[in-house]
Amino acid sequence: MDRRHFLKLLGLSPLLSNLLLRKALAAETPVVAIAEDRDFSRATLKALNALGGMRRFVKPGNVVVVKPNIGWDRRPEQAANTHPLVVRTVVAEALRAGASKVKVFDRTCNDPRRCYVNSGIEAALRGMKGVDLKYIEEERFRPVRLNGRTLRQWDLYDEALSADVFINVPVAKHHGLTGLTLGLKNIMGVMGGNRGSIHRHIDSALADINAVLKSRLTVVDATRILTAHGPQGGDSHDVKVLNKVLASGDIVAADAVATTLFGLRPEQISTTVAAYRRGLGEMKVDKMRIVRV
Amino acid sequence: MRGLKPGKITSARICQLLFLLLFLVLFVQTEYRGSDRISVAVNSFFRADPLVALGYVLAEKSFVLLLLPALLLALATLVLGRFFCGWICPLGTILDLVTGRISKTAPLRFLQGRVKYWLLFPLLFASLFSVNLVGLLDPIAILVRALTFSLYPLFGATVRQGWVGLYRVLGEGRDVLAPGYVLLRDYLLPFRETFYPLAFLSFLLFLGIVFLERYETRTWCRRLCPLGTLLGLLARVSPFGRIPEKLCPDCGDCRSHCPTSFDQELMQQEECIRCMACRVKCRFGRVSFHFGRHAAGLPYFPERRVLLGGLLSGFFLARLFRFRNPRAQATVLRPPGVLDEEAMLKKCVRCGECMKVCLRNALYPAILQAGAEGLYTPLVIPRLGYCEYNCTLCGQVCPTGAIPDLPLE
Repeated sequence: MDRRHFLKLLGLSPLLSNLLLRKALAAETPVVAIAEDRDFSRATLKALNALGGMRRFVKPGNVVVVKPNIGWDRRPEQAANTHPLVVRTVVAEALRAGASKVKVFDRTCNDPRRCYVNSGIEAALRGMKGVDLKYIEEERFRPVRLNGRTLRQWDLYDEALSADVFINVPVAKHHGLTGLTLGLKNIMGVMGGNRGSIHRHIDSALADINAVLKSRLTVVDATRILTAHGPQGGDSHDVKVLNKVLASGDIVAADAVATTLFGLRPEQISTTVAAYRRGLGEMKVDKMRIVRV
Repeated sequence: MRGLKPGKITSARICQLLFLLLFLVLFVQTEYRGSDRISVAVNSFFRADPLVALGYVLAEKSFVLLLLPALLLALATLVLGRFFCGWICPLGTILDLVTGRISKTAPLRFLQGRVKYWLLFPLLFASLFSVNLVGLLDPIAILVRALTFSLYPLFGATVRQGWVGLYRVLGEGRDVLAPGYVLLRDYLLPFRETFYPLAFLSFLLFLGIVFLERYETRTWCRRLCPLGTLLGLLARVSPFGRIPEKLCPDCGDCRSHCPTSFDQELMQQEECIRCMACRVKCRFGRVSFHFGRHAAGLPYFPERRVLLGGLLSGFFLARLFRFRNPRAQATVLRPPGVLDEEAMLKKCVRCGECMKVCLRNALYPAILQAGAEGLYTPLVIPRLGYCEYNCTLCGQVCPTGAIPDLPLE
């Protein structure tokens, strides 16, 4: 190697090292587990175990928030809300991993009482010790500086912010505006104020929120999916039973893989793309490790 | 009841308290509690209310099975007299409970005599001419409205504010108290804070009735209440009554024991509420109640003058309340299933139950939006609330079917 060559290399090395650095940081290939089982509890359990079990995410004594989608006054078979068995299993696993308290809530779109009852989630969690299924209380929202690209500041729910572990449990379904609603969009359930107004720049706004409120674990309920007329649905013809549950520590990866279940590519869903570009997670399916169980 | 010896409680009082409790339980129960159907609600009281039923029949010129209990109560009154007022009516019970603490001045002179007929007959005849306003002065409706529009929201808002205040002070530490609050919220509080127009008026009307206790016991019941007056008319023929019918010359204590009718020498069949206070408290054990022929009290029957006057004023009342501003009419939104404004106005009791039960608090009492006739009738105000897709509660609790009970499919 002559001097000139060496200097050239030296000059280029910062670029190269930068690349290497990024590679090294993202070195841990995101793992997405896809479990299939007609028993939705078992499917959920399998997906969690494929990631190494709930103990990887929840440490003894943790306060855990499980945030399902309970947004609508719909029955479980209508696929507008997270399935009660999926919620129940995630909650039970969190408790088994030693959580001191598991809080479950969502800011609903329909009347909260009707949503909690008709989603089946209230009944599914009834009688479990250490679990609080609670209605949103306005006074608990507090303004949080996001300094994001779209949202500078927003009211977020304090119990979600103060939790040791935030577990995002969306249902996979069609959405009239964003194409699909998955984990990234499920975060809207902890937003206060006039959250409807973010629909104008929704992909970027959701990335802003997700950058601040990180989901340690995302469990996507695809036991049955709503393929059209989302997010509210209602027509049983739009519901497709897949018996699948996805889980990942990487919310973007979970969303990306769930997208493929609809026969779509992750690049088609702008919320996923925006979050990927912000560095919130991996979107390219070939760069993840997918575990099917 | 004045002069009641300590420890001596009449069976009427026990019955009254039980019915008041039932009334309050049903009132709180008139709310979404996790089921699409509400099996029993406070509308039971209206369905057993003969005044509501008569207003409905006169205005609609038809009967509805919902109001069958009212018919039964009317029949029972024909036999037993005005027992409803002394044993059941929750407003009467509240008056009995507070009247002991209110010192009395002299009875109001202008209320004596025929005022109550001048109240009842115009109301009933107005119904006959298709303007059904009986609910405005029905005692149970007055009570339900006072609770729904003022006291209950006030109670709810106060507790909620206190709970929010605790959060400001204790923060997350408030969670220690959460189980108690959740219990209160799930079983006692209104789910949402809602404030209603006419809250003040509703409360004032109720307060006015309590205020009248300054003048004599149960002033409202014996001098004004249209339901009581109607039941009194039926009670005239009741074969059940007190012996002796007159005050005894040597004692006369009944005058102070009786909450309603002994302001004359002779007991008034029409006024006696069968509370049995005179029987229980008689020092000589002379008083008893029997079936048999009884003097109807004063031979006075609302004369032709009152009847005709009632007819005429009812006619005018009906006509004078008829004006409706077409522009306002065009913007008036009624609860779901109400197709015909006329029919709804004729049937509506203005009790406020639909507004109490409304899941999203979309219903509010009309002030003058639907014309003077529509006072207190339910309006949808979509800026404040909306109809849940699967909710039909307002139709379920409507005592007269003014809002139809829609099927879900």
